[in-house]
Amino acid sequence: MSMDAQLIEHMMNPKNYGSLENPDAEGIGKNPENGEKVAIYIAVGKDEEKPYIDDIRFQAIGCTTTVVAGSMLTEEAKGLNLTGVQNLVEATMNLLDRLPPEDAACSEMVALAIKAAVDTYEKRLAEKDYPTITYQVVNSCVVKEPHAEEEKQYEEGK
Amino acid sequence: MKNTMVKAHEAWLATSMAAFMSAQTENKQILFDFSNILFRHFNWLENALIEADIAYSYDRDVIPVKVDKLSDMLANIVQRFDEIVSLLDVKEENALDYRISTDLAYMKEVLQNMEDETVTAFSLERTFPGVELTEEATDALTLFLFEETYKEYELILIYNYLKAHSSDAYLNRIFQILIDESLFHFKRFGDMGAHMGILGVPRVVMKELYQVEDVVKFLYDGIDEELAAKEECRKLSEAVAKDSPELEKFFNFINRQENYHIALMKDALKHFEKIANV
Repeated sequence: MSMDAQLIEHMMNPKNYGSLENPDAEGIGKNPENGEKVAIYIAVGKDEEKPYIDDIRFQAIGCTTTVVAGSMLTEEAKGLNLTGVQNLVEATMNLLDRLPPEDAACSEMVALAIKAAVDTYEKRLAEKDYPTITYQVVNSCVVKEPHAEEEKQYEEGK
Repeated sequence: MKNTMVKAHEAWLATSMAAFMSAQTENKQILFDFSNILFRHFNWLENALIEADIAYSYDRDVIPVKVDKLSDMLANIVQRFDEIVSLLDVKEENALDYRISTDLAYMKEVLQNMEDETVTAFSLERTFPGVELTEEATDALTLFLFEETYKEYELILIYNYLKAHSSDAYLNRIFQILIDESLFHFKRFGDMGAHMGILGVPRVVMKELYQVEDVVKFLYDGIDEELAAKEECRKLSEAVAKDSPELEKFFNFINRQENYHIALMKDALKHFEKIANV
């Protein structure tokens, strides 16, 4: 990650970090390879019947790159209508192959969590108690797991 | 009581941040001592919640710390103290609340009379006093400090929660050592972040990290994380070696400390195995 003042500002004070008390929907982006995940919470406002992101928060189990991506993308998403949010997600996904693999996995995880939140919201319009959607990343974060074998044995022995 | 614990948690962090941003030795020492006392308040309140069988979490509000003068941060901490006192049931027979209120009254007075300082902890200068690092080494150090300051805060909370919910003396001894070690690392990395002009409050830790469902899996993962942290220290030590033998030695020192953490976590795993086989 190359650093400029704007990037460092996102590291020092991530925007929109936390959760919402009564969100309209949540979404999860997950990296099954290393257990990292991003949770997105959205409050949806109505503007002449066109729903938009009135408020958005995120929480992450992940590295600084994930937090920076969460801070930037949630800032971008705030105020957009739901089609705008889906376009933002698509535009982010199209940029991933230009990033180093570990950065790509982090940004993908945030983008997918936002998509999951919007998709959950839309499902809940028809079915109030629709469960939170989780999407898994395709990009690899390339993390070594020296204890993978022992853990596997432990899981099998449980 | 739940809200009081959250406010004590926030006051501990705010006071730690004030200690990091202070450059004057005496102020810094006092602020670190006070933050240690507030950490104990937070623990005692947590214990009272457990005894009263009240569910709680380590969720908290964002803590704004970007100030130009130390006095602005101290005024903010004093407000936090006042808020905590307003939540307490202060009677002599109520030992915990009484103790917290008398501590806060004393600390408030000291903070109100503390000599002011100009704060440079948010300057974004990214230079380390007396050291000229390459851009690559500066970026590596910046990223390390953000990652590891948060990681140490996370570990403090995880081991604190595990300890609070365990009555196993052997494990609690290990958890306490790991808490103390992380408190030291948190302090050193926070201090370094302030020197570099990039001080930030660690983000809120997600519940599922400290409300550990499977401690054995957590310990295996934790050992891997310690190994990864050692590798980061080694890389950073190499990156800064040419420009700063002092920083090189510091990161080697931290790296070697992790070995004992790994040994303790392996001891904890053996202990769990022993319990499982009884």
